[in-house]
Amino acid sequence: MEDYIVEMRHITKRFPGIVANDDVTIQVKRGEVYALLGENGAGKSTLMSMLFGMYQADMGEILIEGKPVHFRSSNDATAHNIGMVHQHFKLVDNYTVAENIVLGVEPMKKALGVLPYVDMKTANREIAELSKTYGLEVNPTNKIEDIPVSVRQRVEILKMLYRKAEILIFDEPTAVLTPQEIEFLLKIIDGLRKSGKTIILITHKIEEIKKIADRCAILYRGRLVKVLDVPSTSSQDMANLMVGRQVDFNPHKSPANYRDTVLDVEHLTVRNANKFDVVKDVSFHIRGGEIFAIAGVSGNGQVELADAIAGMLKIHEGTVKLCGEEIGSLPIRQRTEAGISYIPEDRQGTGVFLDFNLGDNLALRQYYRAPFAKKGILQFNEFEKYANDLIQRYDIRCGQGRKTSLRSMSGGNQQKAIIAREIEEHAKLIIFVQPTRGLDIGAIENIHRQILAERDKGVAVLLVSLELDEIMELADTIGVIYNGELLKIADASTLTSHDVGKYMMGVKEA
Amino acid sequence: MKPKQKNRFASLLDSEKWSSVTIPALSVILSLITASIMLLILGKNPATAFLSFLQGSGFVSKPGYGGGGGMLTDFFTYLNVLAPMLLASLGFVMAFKAGLFNIGIAGQMLAAGFLATAIIGYSGLSAWLAKPLVILVGAAAGGLLGAFVGFLKYKFNIHEVVSTIMLNYIISYLTGFFINDRFADSLTRSMKICSDSARLSWTDVQIAGMKCSIPLGIALALAAAFVVKFIFDKTVFGFELRAVGRNPICARYTGIKVGRRIVVSLMLSGMLAGLAGVTYYCGYYNTIVPKSLAGMGYDAIAVALLGNSSPIGAIFASILITIFQNGSNYMSSTLGVAKEIASLITGILLLFSACGGYFRYLAHRRLERAVDEEAQKAAAESDAPEISENGKEG
Repeated sequence: MEDYIVEMRHITKRFPGIVANDDVTIQVKRGEVYALLGENGAGKSTLMSMLFGMYQADMGEILIEGKPVHFRSSNDATAHNIGMVHQHFKLVDNYTVAENIVLGVEPMKKALGVLPYVDMKTANREIAELSKTYGLEVNPTNKIEDIPVSVRQRVEILKMLYRKAEILIFDEPTAVLTPQEIEFLLKIIDGLRKSGKTIILITHKIEEIKKIADRCAILYRGRLVKVLDVPSTSSQDMANLMVGRQVDFNPHKSPANYRDTVLDVEHLTVRNANKFDVVKDVSFHIRGGEIFAIAGVSGNGQVELADAIAGMLKIHEGTVKLCGEEIGSLPIRQRTEAGISYIPEDRQGTGVFLDFNLGDNLALRQYYRAPFAKKGILQFNEFEKYANDLIQRYDIRCGQGRKTSLRSMSGGNQQKAIIAREIEEHAKLIIFVQPTRGLDIGAIENIHRQILAERDKGVAVLLVSLELDEIMELADTIGVIYNGELLKIADASTLTSHDVGKYMMGVKEA
Repeated sequence: MKPKQKNRFASLLDSEKWSSVTIPALSVILSLITASIMLLILGKNPATAFLSFLQGSGFVSKPGYGGGGGMLTDFFTYLNVLAPMLLASLGFVMAFKAGLFNIGIAGQMLAAGFLATAIIGYSGLSAWLAKPLVILVGAAAGGLLGAFVGFLKYKFNIHEVVSTIMLNYIISYLTGFFINDRFADSLTRSMKICSDSARLSWTDVQIAGMKCSIPLGIALALAAAFVVKFIFDKTVFGFELRAVGRNPICARYTGIKVGRRIVVSLMLSGMLAGLAGVTYYCGYYNTIVPKSLAGMGYDAIAVALLGNSSPIGAIFASILITIFQNGSNYMSSTLGVAKEIASLITGILLLFSACGGYFRYLAHRRLERAVDEEAQKAAAESDAPEISENGKEG
């Protein structure tokens, strides 16, 4: 018999109206990287939340090292050497790295033999040692708020290791990371495997699974579809199983048909709140029917560039012209009306009102004008008509139609709603910033098709993405941004992803 | 209760349609029970206490009345308190819906009352001119103060809670100074009384042989509640205010001028507080005690929150809380319990109404469990695989 460290047998978990897990059985071997693959809402996170004691299964049983267990809380799971890195980190921002790691299991000492206090010296030393052992570089005395996301993730990993976790669960660990950071994380995971830890990886990115996982369980709409041996399965097969149908990896991109210049940016400089230039003297233009993609490592000014064009940030110097008209000093609404649509990076924080219903959110660009408003009074029947139309045409899945609260919708459908709203503006320029971040293959494929369709209609598209593959796939022209400067602008057909990668790292001549 | 009844109760609490009524009702019932327990501990009969609150507010007849008074006298006095209470809580709701916490209602009320009394109250104008002018001055004074707070936030990013608390002190001392210096009544040391022609209540009106003071403000307050409701539910402007309140970043992205909306919403909030001020100081009362802020300015926050920060909710909440506040004198004299018990009950009410979200959550969870149990039972009975038709969007 195999040595299974984790067994979850016939697990069923229901939420109102939804069967999140339906008779799912998985068996994880000691020392392997076991991937859980599935679209958003396939039930991966729910399954792991039960293993980590955050939910209890309605049916089925969990065995750790062959013994049945009943977890009432995550403390029980921790006691069985299970650790989890959540998609949204659970760290105290104004505490140091070490304080966060020992929180709850602090090493104690007694001053004068009576007064207990937390022995941070020991904690700092232990953590420094631990981080060296596993190659997870952190400075134990840094505050969380001062360190970047990738380091915060390392802190979360150390938190598990400090609690002597043997089974490590990672929930979508790469969603927040840049390509370089992903490489590094995969190396860390590999190191953990070599030191004998068992790793369960929740993800919907097949390439990561290909790179790191030994076996892979595919979930589709709450059911276990198949458990695969990763090295002997092709990416295409995995994708098909995950989405439940044939996936087209390469959307058919018709040859570009450029029209007149739509957006003309000259010597654009943008400053952040600290009066630091984040976009430096950037010039480029986009023609109708052209996808201009900005490639770059996260934080090099690409988002600020998009924000400045859309009016969310003030332009410090330079001009932005839309179809020949200077729009650089117009307020946001007038730019929208002039023909700019904007799909922002932070879809939940900027793109929608999570507390408003879907119908209101779909009308955000138009609620103030006829026919949605007459003499300042909202016309709700128009809202309804419009929402029902968009929900149908853009296949937005929502439980209660236009009255569905945005908060209760999945990320992919929230994004669908935003894209529907912005495309329906029939703008001259559409700015997409990270349009597919955190979405599953099915949704990505759909969005890519929509971007190409807009281009073919003659719309100018500005695409900002951290995913190099996405840029190579969609772009007609690529601009690489590094440290706020556009280092290179070239026709996409003249560049390989290798070239772009080099420019992204700041190398001037490839 | 049997499980089935419990589930029905839970679904009443958790229903989209009814929870805005059932949850506050549950909170009120729970607070009354808690207050009863406290009264029992004090050795008093809670039923008598609650009855005397109602008697004190003119809802139930007292055993006997003094010369010229009657149940209607008490009821109109109650309405005199209710009007400013409702207006003040509407003022709070106005800003709160736009994500702003106007804690300066007390100060705005005082400033409005003071200016209206000083400018119109002694002018000797006829009632037809004086009363509308009092309302106008009150609204303008409160509105300007509110707009000033909004301006400070918009221009200098000063949080409205800080600036309004500070302004409360400034207004309290500034008006106190002027009252003492110029307008003090030599006998009472309060502000000289506002003339009857400017006062927003008709005093000593005889109705059915009872001397009553009829407040103009109550009509104003009720109308204001519906206007506020209309603004938020139906207008572009209200939609934008709610948008700013929910997510200012997305509001900006949408193209709303967030700063301007903040200023306007605080201005309207201040105007309502100003109206509360004139109905209070030039209506219910006709004088101002220097250097004292009306506790009502803060009670109004409690009322607004108890009313689920909705204008219609504010009507019911202010009716309820005013019964306790206004009836406390009579209750205290008949039962011999300190009248502060009224504030205690208000506090308990607020505490339970703050738990409203939790009650709903409990009900929601109970329903979830019931669904699970049923499904499990069904599965056990039929021993067939689960139906997963409705499990599409996991």
